[in-house]
Amino acid sequence: MDNNSTHLWKDWRLHLVVLVIVIITELIGTHKIPVGAGAILLLPMLYAVIIGLAAFFTPLINKVQSRKAESLVFMSVTLLIAKFGVQAGPALPELIKAGPALIFQEFGNLATILVALPVAIMLGLRRETIGMTHSIGREANLALISEKYGISSPEGRGVVSMYIFGTIFGAIFLGVTSGLFASILPISPLSFAMATGIGSGSMTAASLGPLVAMYPEQSELITAYSGASNLLTSVTGLYMSIFIGLPMAEKYYSWITKLKSKRRG
Amino acid sequence: MLEKLIDWTLTLTIVAAMALLGNFIGYEVMPLAALPGMISLMVIVLIGMIIHEVLPFKRLPAIAYIGLLAFILTIPGVPGAEKIAEWTAEVNLLALTTPILAYAGISIGNSWADFAKMGWKTIIIGMLVLLGTYLGSAIIAEIILRIQGIV
Repeated sequence: MDNNSTHLWKDWRLHLVVLVIVIITELIGTHKIPVGAGAILLLPMLYAVIIGLAAFFTPLINKVQSRKAESLVFMSVTLLIAKFGVQAGPALPELIKAGPALIFQEFGNLATILVALPVAIMLGLRRETIGMTHSIGREANLALISEKYGISSPEGRGVVSMYIFGTIFGAIFLGVTSGLFASILPISPLSFAMATGIGSGSMTAASLGPLVAMYPEQSELITAYSGASNLLTSVTGLYMSIFIGLPMAEKYYSWITKLKSKRRG
Repeated sequence: MLEKLIDWTLTLTIVAAMALLGNFIGYEVMPLAALPGMISLMVIVLIGMIIHEVLPFKRLPAIAYIGLLAFILTIPGVPGAEKIAEWTAEVNLLALTTPILAYAGISIGNSWADFAKMGWKTIIIGMLVLLGTYLGSAIIAEIILRIQGIV
């Protein structure tokens, strides 16, 4: 996302639509749907993303405004990132104690390669797989892949489709699943908090929201951990992809395809 | 530079005003009570954006500087840290997320046509990619936190 677009503040109609969405969704408030032993938490932000998408299909919003909204996501995420930071500072002693977990969970981002890449190959995809699974495919990865392979290469097509998928579905998907997982899996909300540093502002917000709402008594530490993990991801994320994620996806890809052809031969 | 700064400030003011309203409706914090905290956040953001703008090194995103700055400013012992922490505590995190995702919803409309064309394979892999990252990190964190006896 570029943060250079100017005069974003002038589009009063766009802001008015968002203002109305904020008022409506905050008035509806938080609701909980029990699912088996767990629960899905419906937060105002989840309705907001859906109403926002619906608004796009009305005459209220046009394409230009929709593109402006993208830069506005970046601008509004900065406030959230600052909020993360001020929550993390006072928790410095706790963060130091949890330092090893915070650092090592960054490598968890590579788990996506281990899990998703073989499935993609099984489904018959080829080199698109590398673009799709080497990372969660946000802006920085889009840039990295197009620099290395070209955006119209198979790898480029892969990362673009993941980018679109994440853009549309990421926040909604994580907003629903993060609360559900926290309520059914024997994993502490503090560990999930560290996992919310995904490398996308809106996905982080969506996955953190249910955790904060479900565990209000731990919300300060949850936010601090999430903020620290976010900071780590924003500093290390791209380098993680360059030096580990992408080479690992390449090696793993050629290993699996070799294995597959051997089995056939 | 100054022009950009004014522009950012105006845009942030609009978003901040909406978050203050959401903070009031959803979390019953009077906007005036949350105002010092919101202004602190805005100032931190602006300084972070300026640092990003001025430094020639562009590989780190602006949010890296913003997060780091906010973090350092509130470390116990740093002058003013307690005040900033106290003020910003009035700004509910969830109130900040609502306008973000409303804008996100509007912006994703643009990619909707491409999304609709996407095959089921991409959707399955996409979900696995997101789950892999999220659960992978959570599981590693859980193992280490348990070894350390923190959870």
